[in-house]
Amino acid sequence: MNGTRQLIACFAAGLMFACGQALGGEDGTARKASEVRKTPYRDARAVGVLATGDKVDILEKRGGWYRVKSASLNGWVRMLSIRRGQARKGGGGTHELVALVTGRAGTGRVVSTTGIRGLDEEELKLARFDAAALRVLDAYAASPAEAQRFARQGKLTARAVD
Amino acid sequence: MTISLGRAFAAATLLFLALAAPVHAGGLWDDLRKQVEDEIRRSPAEAVKILPQPVQEAATQAARTLGHFSPEEEQAIGRQAAGNLLGAAPLVNDPKLQQYVNLVGRWLSLQSARPDLAWHFGVIESADVNAFAAPGGYVFVTRGLYRQLQSESELAGVLAHEIAHIVSKHHLKLLAQGQLLDQGGKLLSEQAGESEQIARMIGSGAELFSRSLDQKAEYEADSLAMVLAARAGYDPFGLPMVLQDLGHLSSDDRSVSLLFKTHPHPDQRLEHLEKTGQRLDGIYGRVNQNRFYRLQP
Repeated sequence: MNGTRQLIACFAAGLMFACGQALGGEDGTARKASEVRKTPYRDARAVGVLATGDKVDILEKRGGWYRVKSASLNGWVRMLSIRRGQARKGGGGTHELVALVTGRAGTGRVVSTTGIRGLDEEELKLARFDAAALRVLDAYAASPAEAQRFARQGKLTARAVD
Repeated sequence: MTISLGRAFAAATLLFLALAAPVHAGGLWDDLRKQVEDEIRRSPAEAVKILPQPVQEAATQAARTLGHFSPEEEQAIGRQAAGNLLGAAPLVNDPKLQQYVNLVGRWLSLQSARPDLAWHFGVIESADVNAFAAPGGYVFVTRGLYRQLQSESELAGVLAHEIAHIVSKHHLKLLAQGQLLDQGGKLLSEQAGESEQIARMIGSGAELFSRSLDQKAEYEADSLAMVLAARAGYDPFGLPMVLQDLGHLSSDDRSVSLLFKTHPHPDQRLEHLEKTGQRLDGIYGRVNQNRFYRLQP
């Protein structure tokens, strides 16, 4: 039922957009006192207020809004008012692995020959111009027509925003 | 830019006239001044040419402090910097990935104030979490940052931040200031060949990419990035999503040491985005999670 109502809300907005992005109950904390609304719109009815530091579960994201659940509230709050408690699964959390692969364990020097390295200031300074790589980069460039076709395929419509 | 060039040019011209012309009668001064102002209004670039050499140089120099370079100069500077960066970190050998990133980036760039630049986008082989922009339309994302992303709108947010730096000519302004401070403005003089001038301006190798812009430029780029993503039909909140993730990486983590050194902390960036966020919170857009090109582990 909830899902149906969200779908209707999506279409009611009269815009082509993908409905919510599931976030699967991540932890969050209110960065400041924030109103929780019934739907993800600034003029939607407020169902309550989160106090600074209130803990929430983040269930879903839609545009600039998170659907959250706190001990007493359930609704939508501006995502920029919430500090997410942890990185999402799938991203991050693999830095030990990176350290292992790059051979960067403790000493701070690159000892590995895997070719995957960090970029520190010293390495950047020593870099030599690579003309061949630039030509490869040129070959990957997309034309405006290709970009427009790609946008259409992805249901992206340009719009005026200041 | 025309206005700034015009202003800088006018300032330099008037300075020259003030130095050179006080002995002349007021009428001549006024005539000359009017003539120069008319010329500036018609065409700032052409106006420079009618003036004596020292004024031309002063005007060009004044314009450079505002980051004004000719399109050819900007392109040459960017290409040199990009080629140097690729010398430090090669492109990820995955043509599909590179083409995908170019399509997203080019679409975004078409919504910018500089749709006609020769835009290039690339993912480079580095475990560092970072992204870079060079003048003239060169944008790079590291493999380390790309791995953090989970949708096309998040990639769009990251690319749009770099596009914003290029559109606002942040690095050119930085270079122009450095040029002025370090070398007394002599770097682009006629004595040195063009490639030598460029090499001297951007410093050793890809050093340019480890220099910080001022914080204001970063906040400005974040805000413009959200606007660009919105214009392109994306969910404008892809960049804040990425920043929320990056905020969790410890500053002790080597993979973010350069990013955190050259940028304000993600928490501060998110705070500064609040106003733009409120302005755009009624704008929804595509997240395109399914189409997002995922890296092989």
